[in-house]
Amino acid sequence: MLHTLEIIGRRAVRGLDEIGYATGLLAESLLWIVIGRGRRQPVRLSSVFVQMMEIGVEALPIATLLSATIGVMLAIQGLYSLGLFGAESYAYIGIALSVTREFSPLIIGILIAGRSGSALAARLSTMTINQEIDALRVIGINPVRFLVTPALLGMLVMVPCLTMWSNLVGIASAGIYVSGALEVSFQAFVMQVIDVLRVDDLMHGLGKSVLFATLIAIIGVVNGSLVTGGAEGVGRATTRSVVHSISAIVITDMVFAFLVTR
Amino acid sequence: MPETVLPSVAFDGAKNATPQAPVIEIAHLDAHYGSRQILFDVNLEVHPGEIMVVMGGSGSGKSTLLRLLVGLERPSAGIIRLFGKDINRLGPNEMLDLRRRIGVSFQGGALLSSLTVAENIKLPLRELTRLDEKTMDIMARLKLEVTNLSGFGDLMPSELSGGMLKRAAVARAIIMDPSLLFFDEPSAGLDPVVASALDDLILRLRDAMEMTIVVVTHDIESAFKIADRITVLDKGRILAVDSAQAIRNSSNERIQNLLHRRAEQEDVDPAEYLRRIAGDA
Repeated sequence: MLHTLEIIGRRAVRGLDEIGYATGLLAESLLWIVIGRGRRQPVRLSSVFVQMMEIGVEALPIATLLSATIGVMLAIQGLYSLGLFGAESYAYIGIALSVTREFSPLIIGILIAGRSGSALAARLSTMTINQEIDALRVIGINPVRFLVTPALLGMLVMVPCLTMWSNLVGIASAGIYVSGALEVSFQAFVMQVIDVLRVDDLMHGLGKSVLFATLIAIIGVVNGSLVTGGAEGVGRATTRSVVHSISAIVITDMVFAFLVTR
Repeated sequence: MPETVLPSVAFDGAKNATPQAPVIEIAHLDAHYGSRQILFDVNLEVHPGEIMVVMGGSGSGKSTLLRLLVGLERPSAGIIRLFGKDINRLGPNEMLDLRRRIGVSFQGGALLSSLTVAENIKLPLRELTRLDEKTMDIMARLKLEVTNLSGFGDLMPSELSGGMLKRAAVARAIIMDPSLLFFDEPSAGLDPVVASALDDLILRLRDAMEMTIVVVTHDIESAFKIADRITVLDKGRILAVDSAQAIRNSSNERIQNLLHRRAEQEDVDPAEYLRRIAGDA
C-alpha cells in the first residue's frame, strides 16, 4: 500500500515537473521571437518556412482524404438520424456546425500529433542522444531558438490553416453526398451552409486548433528533450509524445467546449 | 594529493615557453550529479599553445570536467576562467563572444544529421556571423582541406566513416578559428591507423593555428603522442599534472595501474553501492 502511494507520489511529482518544464519552454520559445535580434540570434524565417512545409503542405493529401471521409460520414449519419423524424433537409445545419466547431480541429489535431508531433519528438530525442543539442550549445546556438521556436511557429500557422482547409473539404464532400441523396443542388447546399454558419463558429474551431498546435509542439519537444536510454529511449519518447498529445487534445477539446459553448 | 601543484610550475612543454596568462584556470572545482559528487577540489591551469591531455579511467570525472569547461554544466563550487573570464558569471552576449573563441569536437562527431557535411561546417558562420554565402563556402572548403575531407562536403553525415565523421567535427569546431579547442575521446571507436592520423591532425592544428588544445581521453598511446602535459584524474581528484615523460615515469601506483591497464582491487561495500545507485536515481 505504502509502495503504491510512493509510486503515485513520484509520478505526480514527475508530471508536475514536466508541466513546469513545458510552461517554461513555451515561454522561452515565444520570448526568442522578441529578444532574438537583441541577443544576436534571430529566429530565422527560413527555418519557420521549412517547418511550415513539413507540418502543413506535406500533410495536405492525408488531411484532405481524412476531412473528405469525415464529411461524408457525417452526412450519412446526419441523414439517417434526422430521417427518423423526417427532417433530412436540415442535415446541413448539423454538418456545418459539427465540421467547423468539432471535427475539423479535432481530426487535424490528431493527424498532426501523429505525424509531426511524433517526428519532432523523434528528431529531438535523437539529437539529444547524439550530443547534437550539446554541440549547438557549445557553438553558441540556443537550441530553443534554433529548433523549438520554428517548430512552434510552424504549428501555430499551419494547424489553423489545415483546419480551415479541412472545413472546406469536409463541408464540400458532405455537400456532394447530401445533394445526391436529397436531390438538391450542391450550390443550394452551400448557400444553406453559408447561411447557417457564423464567424463565431469558425473562430471556435480555429481557437481550438491554435491550442492543439501549441500542445502538440510543446509535448513533442518535452518528450524529445527528456529522453534517456539510447535508441530504445527514442522509440519510447516518440510513442509517449503521440499518446500525450492525443490525450491532451481530446481533454482540451472537451474543456474548451464546456467553457465556450454552454 | 597532486604530485605537481600547477600554479607554481612554469609551463615549458609547448613551443611557446614564454610565461603568459593561462588560457584556462580552474580553482577549487567541485561538481555533483544529484547527490553524488563527481569532482573534488580540482585545480588546474592550461597555458597558451599547449596540448593538455586529461586522462583517467571510466568514472574518473574527465567527461564531467570537459562539460564544465565548455559551459554545458555548472559547477557546484569553484571557479572556471577561460581567457581570464569566469564563465559562470558571464551574461548571454559575453558568453556568446567567448564561445566564438572555443571549439569542441565531440566523441561521436555530433554533426546535425539533417544537414550535409558542408552545411554542418558552415552552421556556426551562418548562425553567428553576417558573412555572405560565397565567403562561407570558401571558409568551409578551407577547413575541409585542413582536415583532409576535400570533396566530401556534399555527403550526409550518415555516409561518412567514423574517422571522417570525427574530422568533419573538427572542421566544424575550427570554422570560427578558435584559439582554444576541446576534444572528447578523439580516438574512441577508431582503428589504430585512423586514430594516429587524428592525433597528427591535432598536432598540426596546434602548430599551424597556434591553438591551445585540451584532449580528454583514455587512450594512453594517443595521450603520450600528443600531450605537452598530462592531467591524471582518478575518482574525481587530480592525481598528477606533469609532462608526458614524468607521468610515464611516475612512481604513483594508481598512475602505473592506469598506464598498464591493471584493474585495481577494490572492496565494494554492497550497502554503499546501493546508496550510490539510489543517489543517482
